[in-house]
Amino acid sequence: MRAFLIFLAAGIGTYAIRISGVMLLGDGRELPERVTRALRLVGPAAMAAIIANSLLLDEGQWRALGAWHAAALVAVGVALWRRSSGWTMLAGALTFAALLLAGL
Amino acid sequence: MFGIGAQQWADSWAGLRAIAPLMPGSALFGLAFGALVRVAGVDPWAGNFASVSVVAGASQIAIVEAIRTGAPAAIAVITALVINARFALYSAALAPVYAAFPLRWRLGLAHLMTDQSAVVSLERAADWPDPVRRRWFILGGALPFVAVWVVGSAAGIALGPVIPDAWQIGFIVPLMFLAVMVPGLRSAPALTAVAVATIVVVAARGLPFGLNVLAGALAGIAVGSFVPERRAATAGPVPDDGLAHDQGAGE
Repeated sequence: MRAFLIFLAAGIGTYAIRISGVMLLGDGRELPERVTRALRLVGPAAMAAIIANSLLLDEGQWRALGAWHAAALVAVGVALWRRSSGWTMLAGALTFAALLLAGL
Repeated sequence: MFGIGAQQWADSWAGLRAIAPLMPGSALFGLAFGALVRVAGVDPWAGNFASVSVVAGASQIAIVEAIRTGAPAAIAVITALVINARFALYSAALAPVYAAFPLRWRLGLAHLMTDQSAVVSLERAADWPDPVRRRWFILGGALPFVAVWVVGSAAGIALGPVIPDAWQIGFIVPLMFLAVMVPGLRSAPALTAVAVATIVVVAARGLPFGLNVLAGALAGIAVGSFVPERRAATAGPVPDDGLAHDQGAGE
């Protein structure tokens, strides 16, 4: 029940964000430059925070060096090289699977 | 069929074709989210409810992580809303595209707004000057895309208990976000935001309830927005949200 209510609240809040510009803007009115600049950084900042928390930490402590770090490094390398999400996923997943099979 | 004319079906079909290459990524991300729901011990029905009510994968995963670590409900919701604040950018950009639609269409299409469908709508809107045909084109892409997400996460929730612990399915979380974030990372403000967020999350690891994630994201946005961009941003209709939107991008 608690999880339902959390998702419901997040769903209502997210819907409010989704209709904000559609309902309030248009007719030449635009977001202030300062707000646009901050909103552009939401994606990279939020994703970096989630990545750092799930990759570098484990239950709030440093994650022991191993397959996670190695596979993530390969993924970052491929991402910078090919600039493609699909190839990044594939390279990271295959590397991770190979490292697990190798017993790392 | 269903009281919808042949022209509307054709326009919807065009919308579906435009977004189809992005659908496998949505299905995969849905599978990953569903599996995480079970790993975290979240009620399966709540997980399915999340995919139709929140319709935003990154924030749904953040909520599942918050529940797993026993965070207060308010922190889970606030973290999700910070992550989803990027939709305000799409909503602002889509305002002129939706302007001629009836209110019920604007309210309905807004709920189906995803990173992928917003980008496709913004890129293709000029090809559909007639507002009636345009709204069917947008619906034809946005609705099936969300449906794929919902079905994918339902499949992940159903299959979750079958996945062995040894596979360490949790690795999908950093991998998925690296795949979406790194390819689109170019500007100095975005790089600064990423660096600051990472440092704050690690430095604040002692904070309870995943508050370090919230603190890291907010610090990254705040510090990054003080870094000047080297040159004027791209002039295209699609707002630069610093993320990759190619085939296979999940989000």
